[in-house]
Amino acid sequence: MSVLLNMQDLVGGYGEADILQGVSMVVHEKEIVVIVGPNGAGKSTAMKAVFGLLTIRGGSIRFDGDDITGWAPNRIVQRGICYVPQVENIFREMSIHENLEMGAFLRKGDLSAGFDRIYTLFPDLKERRRTLAGNLSGGQRQMVAMGRALMLDPKLLLLDEPTAGLSPKYMEQIFQISRDVRDTGVAILLVEQHAKQALAFADRAYVLASGSNRHEGTGAELLANREVAEMFLGG
Amino acid sequence: MTVIDFLNFHIVPGIVIGSIYALGAVGITLIFGILRYAHLAHGDLATLGAFLALALVQLLGVPPLVVLPFVIVLTAGIAVGIDRVFYDAFRERPKIITVMSSLGIALMIRAVVQVVWGVNTQTYTRGLVRPDDYFGLRLRDREIYTVAAMIGLVVALQLFLNRSKWGKAMRAMSDNPNLALLSGIDNRKVVMLTWIISGGLCAAAGVFLGLNTELKPMMGWSMLLPMFAAAILGGVGRVEGAVLGGLIVGIAEELSVLVLPSEYKAAMAFAILLVMLLVRPTGLLRGKVL
Amino acid sequence: MELALGLANYALFMGVFIGIYAILALGLNIQWGYSGLFNAGIAGFFAVGAYTSAILTSPHAAGRIGGFELPTLVGWVGAMAVAGLVAWPIGKVCLRFRSDYLAIASIGIAEIIRLVIKSEDVLTNGAKGINNIPRPFGDLPYVQSQIAYLAIVIVVLAVVYVAVERQYNAPWGRMMRAVRDNEVAATAMGKDIAFRRLQAFIFGAALMGLGGALFAHFSRSITPEAIDPMVATFLVWIMLILGGSGNNRGAILGAAVVWIIWSVSEIATDRLPHEYAVQAKYIRVFLIGLMLQLVLRYRPEGLLPEPLGGARNAPAATAKATPRNGH
Repeated sequence: MSVLLNMQDLVGGYGEADILQGVSMVVHEKEIVVIVGPNGAGKSTAMKAVFGLLTIRGGSIRFDGDDITGWAPNRIVQRGICYVPQVENIFREMSIHENLEMGAFLRKGDLSAGFDRIYTLFPDLKERRRTLAGNLSGGQRQMVAMGRALMLDPKLLLLDEPTAGLSPKYMEQIFQISRDVRDTGVAILLVEQHAKQALAFADRAYVLASGSNRHEGTGAELLANREVAEMFLGG
Repeated sequence: MTVIDFLNFHIVPGIVIGSIYALGAVGITLIFGILRYAHLAHGDLATLGAFLALALVQLLGVPPLVVLPFVIVLTAGIAVGIDRVFYDAFRERPKIITVMSSLGIALMIRAVVQVVWGVNTQTYTRGLVRPDDYFGLRLRDREIYTVAAMIGLVVALQLFLNRSKWGKAMRAMSDNPNLALLSGIDNRKVVMLTWIISGGLCAAAGVFLGLNTELKPMMGWSMLLPMFAAAILGGVGRVEGAVLGGLIVGIAEELSVLVLPSEYKAAMAFAILLVMLLVRPTGLLRGKVL
Repeated sequence: MELALGLANYALFMGVFIGIYAILALGLNIQWGYSGLFNAGIAGFFAVGAYTSAILTSPHAAGRIGGFELPTLVGWVGAMAVAGLVAWPIGKVCLRFRSDYLAIASIGIAEIIRLVIKSEDVLTNGAKGINNIPRPFGDLPYVQSQIAYLAIVIVVLAVVYVAVERQYNAPWGRMMRAVRDNEVAATAMGKDIAFRRLQAFIFGAALMGLGGALFAHFSRSITPEAIDPMVATFLVWIMLILGGSGNNRGAILGAAVVWIIWSVSEIATDRLPHEYAVQAKYIRVFLIGLMLQLVLRYRPEGLLPEPLGGARNAPAATAKATPRNGH
């Protein structure tokens, strides 16, 4: 598998303070990579760095052959990375269909192939496409949020804690959807609080602590690692 | 008082003035919802529209309704210009700075009107207009035009907001600005569209107020409170709410004379505003609270 | 000699007005400068103060209540109390929300106050206004009386200045400023902060009422037409912003600078032929509006910046951290 995203020794943060103190990670094509770690480890920050949402003071980010370090988010979107924020990631007062349409805002021409793809992936959404997104359940909202991001047909999807606040049933559903998305050829980088479940489901994972790399490996390897287990899996 | 008198003396004038408030309140609610600040120069922008129409009426010798489309376009352009020259510079600052700036713009627009057109009361047409009788309902043509134009403009706006790509982009920006930016929606274009629409509707409000009453430099400023009351009553960000709110405020003002001295008509809007903020700040149609 | 006397008299006159406007600007500084509260109804609170003191202290007149002939000091305290009392419900309702709502509601209350003053003859004597308001040391010869009144205004201003300035460094002021610069902290502090904002709003309004009372006793009369509400409100705003919001000395300096520009330019335009004089008045209003735009954009911290600096007044380039919303 070829390397899609390569972040090397990234240093940076919001404004003056450096939250990331040298983070490196790699995402291959069609791979699900999870970032886990204790609160304040810089998980979401590392992901936002990919999307150009923070001030970078060292290191580099390469994506699909381009150096995208310091690019503005709208340029990164066009290049093929889409981002789903943890909260407020849908247009509540717009229908499901309109949410998807806004996701494809930068796309010219006919959108029907894009809609078809999303509705095949999320059949639940197709039935309720005229429903206001704000009236949906938590799990369905997350589908809308992912669907909106996928409308631009990205190569890499960034998900910031997609299962936060969801019941275990929905968590499983989101993981299943992520696998389905991956199977359509999209790589996924996601941040997770639920470390145990996330490691079990990811292809590979990175453990961050205090803004730098601590461990990496396949999900199974990390689950078997005693230090990782002690760190936040409750021993 | 018979039912027909009640309709003729209170409800009809209430709907007419309410339609005028609605035209202004729609712009206020869009600006409040999308740009996220209270635009205090909205009333005076309406005054400017009304006087621009007066200039064209006097220049061309045609009725005000004929010049209305031109005035809408002209005022929309002026609104965009004011944003580019003044408000845009405060984009990265707290929103309240723009509110303050708009208070200054209100004063500046009014000063321009007073310098160019003087301080005396003027009218588009001279002479009394007798109302026609429709099965007992006494309506003047201008009153029918006012309500019809309000309905027409609002329906056109709703179609634009719900059907067109850029209309949806405006709603998206109002709904969740950060996500709209993440989706690649061009904020500058949305801002410009918001001003074109709000400025145009504002001009229409001014012209219809001038048509139904008279033109004075203070005409717009005195509409500011009812327009804001209407926008908040309907729910900030809700176009249909602003229309509903405008009509309710207009009718409430006309009904207030039954219990209050007529000097206190203007207090009705203020009372509605405070009561709504107290009991239901999201408005009737669940709008935003900033 | 006559010219010198005229100039001296003009200077005294101007001094009194600067003092009164400085008190208004200090009141606004408590509201906006310390607490970030947008009051666009300054003229309303000013008028409440002016009429309250007039009613309490003036001699009996037919057709309206009053004739209490209370001491002037009682009138001034009454002016502050009633202006604060009017501010209370407005603040109570609006301070839970962003300051935009307060701006609108304060425009509303000023409008209602204007209507009451014009319509309630029993209270305010309508368009004729209230006359024969006693002026302290008003029995002295003209110039001495003017000097005495200027001295009184200066003393009152000094007391107000000390009272307001003390709050800046007091825990109360520190908290208000912290909250002003950080909306998130404000929401976290919840109820307590709403109450403190209400205090700031009432305190500021009371000072505006005091300014109104000083004006009424200086003019010896008050009518609905005595001041143009929009222009007066706006002048106080430009005084505070130009002087330096958050800085009390800045507020006083701003009051002096703006009032001198405003009244000297009035002398200039009054010399024009009548048909131009009216237009020139509005050109002055236009320019004062433009001045606000320029100060807000190029010198947001004002002539005398706030001692400890406020994030709000920082120039745009360093204020990037504010979230980019719709505009």
